[in-house]
Amino acid sequence: MSLAEKMTDLSTFLAYSVALEQEAAERHDELADMMDVHHNPEVTETFRKLAHYSRAHASEIRQHSAGHDLPVIAPWEFEWDGMEGPETADIADVNYLMSITHALKIALGNERRAHDFYHEISEHSPDAGVRALAAEFAVEELEHLELLEEWQARIADSADEFAFDPDPAHMPE
Amino acid sequence: MDQTTATKAASPKDYKSDFKPIWCPGCGDFAVLNAITKALAFLELPREEVALITGIGCSGRIAGFTSLYGFHGVHGRALAVGGGLKAARPDLTVLVAGGDGDGLSIGGNHFIHACRRNMNLTYIMMDNEVYGMTKGQASPTTAADWEQSKLTPHGTGIRPFKPADLALTAGASFIARGFAGDPNGLARMLVEAIGHPGFSFVQVLSPCPTFRPEQMQWKTQVRVFEETCTDDPILAAQRIQADDGMSTGIIFRHEHAVFQVKNTVGADLESIEQEFVI
Repeated sequence: MSLAEKMTDLSTFLAYSVALEQEAAERHDELADMMDVHHNPEVTETFRKLAHYSRAHASEIRQHSAGHDLPVIAPWEFEWDGMEGPETADIADVNYLMSITHALKIALGNERRAHDFYHEISEHSPDAGVRALAAEFAVEELEHLELLEEWQARIADSADEFAFDPDPAHMPE
Repeated sequence: MDQTTATKAASPKDYKSDFKPIWCPGCGDFAVLNAITKALAFLELPREEVALITGIGCSGRIAGFTSLYGFHGVHGRALAVGGGLKAARPDLTVLVAGGDGDGLSIGGNHFIHACRRNMNLTYIMMDNEVYGMTKGQASPTTAADWEQSKLTPHGTGIRPFKPADLALTAGASFIARGFAGDPNGLARMLVEAIGHPGFSFVQVLSPCPTFRPEQMQWKTQVRVFEETCTDDPILAAQRIQADDGMSTGIIFRHEHAVFQVKNTVGADLESIEQEFVI
């Protein structure tokens, strides 16, 4: 049975949705901190903005949750497709020399996975209320995708290659 | 849905400090930090009742990135300090963390004796098969034919340690291997390790993006052990030997007598301070 088919009640769906967005926000902040420490201010700001958007979405979902008693689920008991939530960037995908273009590529991948997560539930949950809300969230994720694509178009000249570091950490001494 | 209805209110953030980690972006140690804080939040352990003792190396910095009591110790001696703390303060939850070089080379002696002593503490070894902080030398877990270090341009030619194998032989009562790419699974493993009565050893495959960039492919190579945890050391030894080091899970768990110092010194702070008066 797929996760979407197991999504039989609104409270569980909302608990998953809040966790998805919250985890994404925390990871974006974490990535921003990494870039800040390594003096990459443009990408720091990019990840910080992405964290802000994820937090805003988490806040919206919490408003939907008013009146629902959400189950508290241990981090390892979420049945995500991957090791972490679908909108959570993989720590292993970043590099201190990355550009805004790289950061946005990661963000686009995250949003696509989040859209697919909600879309799948909107198609296959046994509960009509869950299907409707998941469809709404899937549309929102599509809107986020469009915003990111516009952002990407605006910075089309941004480097698609890693920046040059004349004294990299692995330089032999 | 089938899920634990945990009612935990503590947040992993509560266990992090305000210092931004200075590890290289992409380092697996970030995920270990996340896993530790998630485990502590799940267990709802008060911060003041947990101590994180660390060795020297990139991974040794982890204590400073938490809000726990911490001690960034001498190279290889984190387990000695952690054991001493546990002897003096058995009420504390003591976590010890370090890298493969710190724990198996400089601290190798402390490691095997900590395994056999079986004090009630948890040792997290963040294994990236390299000395990262000193710019990429071979460690005791580095493959014999790794040729990327200037010190060993033709490889070390020495077979690496298998940390789980060594821990089992030395008498550790809880042995697990986790992966930094699975911070949630690692958090669950740490919850089990902390709850284990005795010495719990958790080896974490923690990729180094700077000196071992090929390890970023570990996420396509790790797998969960097919077999469940055993309390049979012979079976555990067979599994460890048959494995390529990329399987994760709790490998061995066996309860036996926990070592705890019985005679504690009942000195107050004032009299201890007197000992140091010159």
